[in-house]
Amino acid sequence: MIELKNLSKKFGNITAVDSLSFTVEKGEIFGLIGENGAGKTTTLRMLATMLAPTSGTAVLSGHDIVKEPEKVRGKVGILFGGESGLYDRLTVAENIRYFGELNDMSIDEIDRRTKMLADIFDMNDFLNKRAGKLSKGMRQKAAFARAIIHDPDILLLDEPTSGLDVSAIREVQNFILEQKKQGKTVLFSSHTMSEIEKLCDRIAIIHKGKLVALGTIDEIRQSNENLSLEELFVRLVGDKHDA
Amino acid sequence: MLKHIWIVFKKELKDILRDRKTLFSSIVIPVLIIPVLMLIVGGSTQKMTQEMYEDITVALTKNSDTESARNFLNNLAAMDENIIVADPVDDPWQAINEKKVKLVIELEDGFEEKLKNYEPVKLKLIYDNSLTRSGGAVGTFEAIIDRLNTALAVERLNDLGISPDILSFVRVERQNIARTKDSNQFLMMMLPLFIAILVAVGGIPAATDLVAGEKERMTLEPLLTTRPSRMSILVGKYLTINVFSFASVISTLTGMVIAYAVNPATLSLGRGNIGGFSAEPAALILSLFITLLMGMSFSGIQLAISTYARSFKECQTYLSLLVFAVMIPAYSTMFTMPNDIQPYMFVIPVMNTISAFKLILGGITNYTGLAMATVSSVVYVIISLYLAAWMFRKEQFMFRS
Repeated sequence: MIELKNLSKKFGNITAVDSLSFTVEKGEIFGLIGENGAGKTTTLRMLATMLAPTSGTAVLSGHDIVKEPEKVRGKVGILFGGESGLYDRLTVAENIRYFGELNDMSIDEIDRRTKMLADIFDMNDFLNKRAGKLSKGMRQKAAFARAIIHDPDILLLDEPTSGLDVSAIREVQNFILEQKKQGKTVLFSSHTMSEIEKLCDRIAIIHKGKLVALGTIDEIRQSNENLSLEELFVRLVGDKHDA
Repeated sequence: MLKHIWIVFKKELKDILRDRKTLFSSIVIPVLIIPVLMLIVGGSTQKMTQEMYEDITVALTKNSDTESARNFLNNLAAMDENIIVADPVDDPWQAINEKKVKLVIELEDGFEEKLKNYEPVKLKLIYDNSLTRSGGAVGTFEAIIDRLNTALAVERLNDLGISPDILSFVRVERQNIARTKDSNQFLMMMLPLFIAILVAVGGIPAATDLVAGEKERMTLEPLLTTRPSRMSILVGKYLTINVFSFASVISTLTGMVIAYAVNPATLSLGRGNIGGFSAEPAALILSLFITLLMGMSFSGIQLAISTYARSFKECQTYLSLLVFAVMIPAYSTMFTMPNDIQPYMFVIPVMNTISAFKLILGGITNYTGLAMATVSSVVYVIISLYLAAWMFRKEQFMFRS
């Protein structure tokens, strides 16, 4: 479970995230929607303990991001952007192993999980190839495997399908749905409305760091004249944009 | 924490060892380039020295070409085997520049008669000071003339029944008490400078890659979301930079050893073999420790700069400026001999390491100076590491965009 409590972040005089409060239940896929610069990435970075909140806090799987950042990091798997962030000079297996070791897993455990994930993501053919030599789709698979090598309770995904081709996007979406089946909590940000509709149990729309809508897509639509998600987004964000 | 540091260190080492660019610039190039450079510099200096002192070809001008003048020159050649008499020349400038001769001589008319009568004789020495082989040979030739003058004076005094001892009332007896050979001077100038600069810059390729490079490749963010604390990640990277800093020094010293093996005179610029060092083991260990500390200070600074930089290129730009910061104190002490080291030099960054090494090479044991250099170096390590850690924790530097 993820619980945001008045989570705020300022960069100088600019308020990037303004008192965000909502809860993501265990096993839920939760979408964070907003324009570029709305505060999605900053929110995810705070939840991942990369950035410290200016005020407020969040609790992930029972651990406070301010008081117990190292414990929080042990509970989350993170993937930021369409870029995989793999070490090109290491093989896929070495990339995965590195993150497993950093997350205090034993070598046996890492090997067992790597084998399992290689089967799931169909990575056996390129497991021992250097990441820099792989196609974008292969790299994405490797990045997912690396992000969940330590079997985290929570996945934080920042625009995970950005820049991917259609088949790679489908694989990512299937991965997210699979994680839900395994009882994992997934919080992800996206620009793509169809993706949000397809995957999310609930969504939060944020604009200029503030929460402007929260609930299931149906709930938000019903309270907004049954508009499509896209129209709804434009109304909620666009109106405030114009104002 | 130690476990995490070790994991990061192991991975960074493996990762960078697979980077041909870093490996090449930090380790391979010094091993290959240094011997070549040393052999070229040493060889050309050796050749220059030979040209100044050996095979001094001398010719008369055609105007002063007489039998007695030729005899005079032949007598000089008999006094010193380095003098070679060449055919008379019409145009001294052309003869010198076409490498036919190094010096041209013009003797006044009737010089032989004057010499017989012990009267002063004018000898015009024509040379081209813009050419080392000609300008440099002047001193050698004049030394031979001095010997001739002395010989003539002794001969005359003997004729007059006076002891030639009156020519030198005060006799100088030289005693060189330097603890190192003259031939070591080049090494004393260059080795500390080389080591200081290499220690300071050797880690640059690794430092650039390890934070700024990671930012650019977008691998830093996932790394920061793993369990280890930022300090563990930082120290793992810091140790890697240190390894590369010292690896480049070792590879450079290996290059120098290769140059020495090929031609021992390269390390003394042709002034004989190096050797005869007499450093105390404790002082030597302390100097190496000071060098280690200097490397650690620079690794910290490089890590801080790499953390500040937004990209690989930006980092390279900043770090290239760091090279100049090292060169200023390094070159300002280049000609300082061990006995001339002032106390303040033991506390100034870079200078303190160079000074410590000069003491060792000069065979001087100065534990006060070495202690000052050690303490100041430790302080610089702490400051640089603190700076790197502070920047690594700061969001505005880590996520600067």
